[in-house]
Amino acid sequence: MSAQIVAFGLLGGLVLYSAWRVATAPLITHAALFLALTLVGVAGFFFMLQAEFLAVVQILVYVGAVMTVIIFAIMLSTPALIRSGERPTLIQQILSPRYGAIPLLVGVAVTLLLLLAYGTVSWDQVPLTFHPSSQFPGGSTAQGTTGLIGEALLTRYIVPFEVVSLLLLAAMVGAIVLAVEGSRGKEDEARD
Amino acid sequence: MLPLWLQWVLWGILKAVLVLLFVTVNAIILIWLERKVSGHIQNRIGPLRVGGPAGVLQSFADIIKLLAKEDFFPKRGDPWVWWLAPSVAFAPALMVFFVLPIGPHLVVQDMNVGLLFIVAITSFSVLSVFMAGWGSNDKYSLIGAMRAGAQLFSYELPMVLALVAVTLATGTLNISEIVARQQGMWLIFPQFLAFLVFYIGAIAELNRTPFDLGEAESELVAGYHTEYSGIRWAMFMLGEYTNLLTSSILVSLVFLGGWSGPLLPGWVWVLIKAYLLIFVAMWIRWTLPRVRIDQLMDLGWKFLLPLSLLNIALTGVYMAVMA
Repeated sequence: MSAQIVAFGLLGGLVLYSAWRVATAPLITHAALFLALTLVGVAGFFFMLQAEFLAVVQILVYVGAVMTVIIFAIMLSTPALIRSGERPTLIQQILSPRYGAIPLLVGVAVTLLLLLAYGTVSWDQVPLTFHPSSQFPGGSTAQGTTGLIGEALLTRYIVPFEVVSLLLLAAMVGAIVLAVEGSRGKEDEARD
Repeated sequence: MLPLWLQWVLWGILKAVLVLLFVTVNAIILIWLERKVSGHIQNRIGPLRVGGPAGVLQSFADIIKLLAKEDFFPKRGDPWVWWLAPSVAFAPALMVFFVLPIGPHLVVQDMNVGLLFIVAITSFSVLSVFMAGWGSNDKYSLIGAMRAGAQLFSYELPMVLALVAVTLATGTLNISEIVARQQGMWLIFPQFLAFLVFYIGAIAELNRTPFDLGEAESELVAGYHTEYSGIRWAMFMLGEYTNLLTSSILVSLVFLGGWSGPLLPGWVWVLIKAYLLIFVAMWIRWTLPRVRIDQLMDLGWKFLLPLSLLNIALTGVYMAVMA
């Protein structure tokens, strides 16, 4: 039992609990906040794996962008609809199939699948330490991951990278078109 | 000899306490400074006469008052969310200090992606604003939270893009490295557009007066912290002043050459530059009136965002030509 294992266990417990609460919280606002906690916990795993860049980007993208959009969607909804949530007790939640049995089944299935997939990874290569200077199997140090990721994205993975950027551009143009058409409709109504 | 993990934990606690002390002392100084600056600029009689020698005792009287005040919880609020909101507001403000170097080697954890870390951590502020607005179950709080959220979201984007140009120019995300690259010339000269966008964005992120629509006391009582009182309200304020300090230190490190300066030790130079920027922010606050929400959005999306994109393009072209 080392400190890393304890930290991993605590973080894992936090992520699992909050992920479970995302699905079972009766209020959508609470679900959103637990989702934020889950995503921050996952960023914590990335920190433990010495993937600083990935951890920071995880927080930036999921807490900074995705959560903000979710929160805006909630705040723009009718408050009365959001607040009128029935609150089943904890025991009821675990016993009901929707909150207890089905998620359990799906969770076990996914875990088994992941374990099968990870069976091919040799675990001694995964660094679970707090020392930022230790060597990675590839010969690079943790210090250089940002540069390595950037290089890989612009050389080996250039095609997927560009495809994703095209997809994002298309989404942006689509959003603008939808917004412009919506506001045009309003103007016409105002004129009538 | 203590076991290794215990040493690690104790060192962590010691560093956290030191950071907390630094932040609190600076916040007390900033509140005193804000009173004095506002008093002189707007010719207010109170801040110029009250509070013992040079008004220093006023801040301490305030602290005692805030600690002694009743901790009021709104009747139909959301307890957990309401209780946690001040912590979610204050903790990120503190966490930023762990990667922010105050002087050469004077940093808790010199992180390689420090600049990105700061940007990521400050994005928690939207969450705290939302939690406060929602947890209070009050129309003023919720409207204030929505406004503040929209504002934070709109100004985060140009600020990050301004920093992208800085990263392009210096080739690193490590803040100490960025300071080291400015030995020949401060980055404010080649990256003036980035400085302009970042500084305006930083003032807007701080919810300070030309951009304080989130609290707008003449329309919304106090915005998202209407229902907070005593020590919880103080935590919001402390977070706000800490953010003012951190963003000023960050600007002085990234654009004003950090700890480079003659005679005095490095950390003194950082603080001098940071306090100069803080004074300018206060000057702006007590001089300009509040903007309207559409003006605020226009400034963010139609002026700062294109300007920061243009700056990235210009920097990229310059780098390509010089390389």
